[in-house]
Amino acid sequence: MTTSITYDDKSVRRFMIASIFWGIVGMLVGVIIALQLSRWEMNGKFLEALTFGAIKSDGISFLTFGRLRPLHTNAVIFAFVGNMMFAGVYYSTQRLCKCRMASDLLSTIHFWGWQLIIVAAAITLPMGFTRGKEYAELIWPINIAVVLIWVVFSVNFLWTLAKRNEPSLYVALWFYISTIVTVAMLYIVNHLSLPTSFTHSYPIFGGLQDGLVQWWYGHNAVAFFLTTPILGIMYYFLPKAANRPVYSYRLSIVHFWSLVFIYIWAGPHHLLNTDLPRWLQMLGMLFSLMLWAPSWGGMLNGLLTLRGAWDKLRTDPVIKFFAAGVTFYGMATFEGPLLSIRAVNALSHYTDWTIGHVHSGALGWNGFMAAGMFYWLAPRLWKTQLWSKALANMHFWIGTVGILLYVAALWCAGIMQGLMLNQVNEGGTTLKYEFIETLNDIQIFYWLRSIGGTFYLLGFILCAINIWKTARSGVPHDEVVEVTLLERKQKDSMRWGEALLNDPLTHIVLAMAFIILWFFLPPHADKAALVVSALLCVKAISAFKANKEKWTNWHERLIENYLPFTVLVFVAVAIGGAVQIIPSLIVNREKNIEGRLQELYTPLELAGRDLYVSEGCYNCHSQMIRTLVPEVMRYGRAGVPDDYSHLGESLFDHPYQWGSKRTGPDLAREGGPIAKDAAGNPLKYMRVGKRGNDWHFNHFLNPRQTSPGSNMPAYPWLFENKTDVKSLPDKIRAQVAVGVPWPALSKHEITDMVETQAQEIAKSLVDAKVYLPSKPDLKGDELRNQLANTQVVALIAYMQKLGAYREVKPENPGQPRALDPDSQRKTAAAK
Amino acid sequence: MSQEPKRGHFAKEKGEIILREHEYDGIQEYDQKLPNWWLFTFYGAIVWFVVYWVLYYHTGMFKTDHQLVKDEIIAVHALKAAELEKTLATLNDSTLVHEWATKPEVVAAGEATYLANCSACHAADLSATMVAGTVTVPLPGLALNDKVWKFGGKPMDIFKLINDGSPPESTGHNGAKMQAWGQTLSPKQIAEVTAYLIAKLPEDFKDIAPN
Repeated sequence: MTTSITYDDKSVRRFMIASIFWGIVGMLVGVIIALQLSRWEMNGKFLEALTFGAIKSDGISFLTFGRLRPLHTNAVIFAFVGNMMFAGVYYSTQRLCKCRMASDLLSTIHFWGWQLIIVAAAITLPMGFTRGKEYAELIWPINIAVVLIWVVFSVNFLWTLAKRNEPSLYVALWFYISTIVTVAMLYIVNHLSLPTSFTHSYPIFGGLQDGLVQWWYGHNAVAFFLTTPILGIMYYFLPKAANRPVYSYRLSIVHFWSLVFIYIWAGPHHLLNTDLPRWLQMLGMLFSLMLWAPSWGGMLNGLLTLRGAWDKLRTDPVIKFFAAGVTFYGMATFEGPLLSIRAVNALSHYTDWTIGHVHSGALGWNGFMAAGMFYWLAPRLWKTQLWSKALANMHFWIGTVGILLYVAALWCAGIMQGLMLNQVNEGGTTLKYEFIETLNDIQIFYWLRSIGGTFYLLGFILCAINIWKTARSGVPHDEVVEVTLLERKQKDSMRWGEALLNDPLTHIVLAMAFIILWFFLPPHADKAALVVSALLCVKAISAFKANKEKWTNWHERLIENYLPFTVLVFVAVAIGGAVQIIPSLIVNREKNIEGRLQELYTPLELAGRDLYVSEGCYNCHSQMIRTLVPEVMRYGRAGVPDDYSHLGESLFDHPYQWGSKRTGPDLAREGGPIAKDAAGNPLKYMRVGKRGNDWHFNHFLNPRQTSPGSNMPAYPWLFENKTDVKSLPDKIRAQVAVGVPWPALSKHEITDMVETQAQEIAKSLVDAKVYLPSKPDLKGDELRNQLANTQVVALIAYMQKLGAYREVKPENPGQPRALDPDSQRKTAAAK
Repeated sequence: MSQEPKRGHFAKEKGEIILREHEYDGIQEYDQKLPNWWLFTFYGAIVWFVVYWVLYYHTGMFKTDHQLVKDEIIAVHALKAAELEKTLATLNDSTLVHEWATKPEVVAAGEATYLANCSACHAADLSATMVAGTVTVPLPGLALNDKVWKFGGKPMDIFKLINDGSPPESTGHNGAKMQAWGQTLSPKQIAEVTAYLIAKLPEDFKDIAPN
């Protein structure tokens, strides 16, 4: 029985236009923040010149790097690539299922809901409403909206699969399924938080646990938001555009399953060479290395599909973009494992090398695959010809030059700064360069990067013009096709037992279980587990050789059944996170801390910390001294040989603030002990660390006064705005609920503590004769009372607390613990 | 039931490249063998996983990161102490004033170090003040050109103060203490900074007699 079906191409057009629009917005913000790294005036002061002095400010809060960088990353990931992915998924899924999207209503809700979320993000992020975790900055009400819209998308997608008129699922759909399932899992877990108000919340995880969850999410946002859906898009659009068969079906199977299984484990490579338990660092690094081949499997299947169609490179801009995009994918997925090697990471981490790496993925892979897809889709969606092939070629070349400039500049910047920071003077006892010198020396590369980024943006504007003109030259067109309706029994007829209790699967699951036991079992038992696992692998190989047909048929059957397939994908992606995160939740707790345990914040310091998070300071400053000699020499205290950041020092930090990039120096040892008054008596709360309160005061007012050459924005509004004391009781209550052992404090006590500490700090500032440019006439007590209420005093209180800890001993120090592989094994040092 | 690709079977028997029978929206798929180099990369990475884990956890050949860094930093501290001792052996009030501070290249090196590290708190003109608009504002440090030396005005007192930071019993200047610059600067650099101060403030050190 056949019927005629109209595909919903309206949704595809909408998502595509939205993607181009948000892409330009996101890239423009990218260019602005890139320029901010070269010229601090780009943080607001430039408006003075633009408006001929009508706006006068050294810095405007909603234009600072710390607030705009999250806007850039969120816009590019969720708005640009998100909408592009939805366009590709909606277009290809309907055709691969030979049926219209299941529900037009859900498609409409999905589209408008997603755009509303983006608008909400574009408003809240510059206002400083943030959760303080990278790519997970959006505040909790928006998080809930994201989850709801993702559910709408998932239901719409899976329902379409259920209604399909095609017995089996094409590889593109496998990748879409893995995207839907995994993003849901990652997003929900990493956004678990306890609200303190409508715009603020604390993540339920803290310290190391928060870091692990964050990078399990952060790394796999790259994997399952920026990679798997685009691979699915590649598998549909590339063979279509090239008009060639896909290179290898079995490569699709092997690289799909290995990619989705292995990717999840690689998260800890963002925390290498820190005090993170060694077994997690080993898993993070070694799984990243194992990820190389599965990633290249995708590249190979893409590039080798072009065999026989390479001549089209000369004539077809679509093929140009796809070939370059897939090549950049290969480059980025080779660089990723390289950067995950602990020795390489020691140099590259916290530098611009990482930023260059993600941009070869984002600009090269995502941006070019998007462009190729847009140029292929537009003539079909508007039933016309592409307006200008020449313009598309121009876009290709200007974009390619832009990417190469960008990536090469940041290789140079990152490697050079990394080497300079490690450089010691003759004799090897002191470091050669101050942090600021290394920053100033890479400025030339920052300019080149801004130029490269601008090129890329210009290319994308050409794309927008081209697509616009193409659309204008045609009419919106929804494709109509004749399809043969599939009978119910021709698909989704596999029973659960057949799907899950089957030979390849039993072998794999058992071998995997023993491998995991090998990580965790005590000495000797672990070796036995490894041997069992190896034997199981041998047995699996012989079973496969004996009955290839049966194994092949199982997978052939599996892809005719979307629900069992989806469940197996979920199992494959859930294992890695569970093995890495759950033990840490159990082991890394206060009772097991040996050595340094973080001192609790005072209410004022907590208020200051919330400001630190809200201003996005973590975008440029780390609070993590790694277990590396040059780092301890640079940031550690004199005479303390083990002065790297210990895990216990950030145990109660919700969210953790270890950072991922150092545009400024590390701040882990910025704070110090309780200060003394002039008579030598200790003060109640005020601390003074590496630098005095007045230094910080001047620094926030004008960073270049205290640190000549600094590119940090000025923060004049911190000197005007009042500290939010009213919300502190609710915040402290939420902190207690997530496990921070605050003492019981009444509202009254909290206000008193804030007042006392703020007055102590304000007094020290008045004694130091600080100058408040906005109120030059205030003196003495008036100035002190004015300052005590301002945000800058709260932030100074926090700066002076950084790194405060006390020494503790657990009940059973040095004892092997379950689920803590490091504690059960002896290394050379312990012998 | 599963549709074993006929075209596939035929190709398999003929030893040709298999083109799978099923098409998806016009997309066909070959079923080429996996490239061997690719497979070996994958297997190699898996084997390396096992080998590396076993080497680290079961051979006892490696120290932990913590032990490594601690050992090396202790070695650096020892070197630094030896270096300081060596410098101190040749350094005294008199040599600082009459040898170090009289050499223009030493003073110039000291000035460079001073401007990079010290001027933020003590000002380029040693006054520990800055001009903001129309007012003069104090900087965090103590003034150096006011003839007051809170912790001793002999050249060696100044050297030690820079090297060790504010003494522990000091309450600090408005609560702020100077850090131990010996952590970041070599003894030679600190001697150069001292020489720079002597050259800038000859009045304060005119009583130091040559050896």
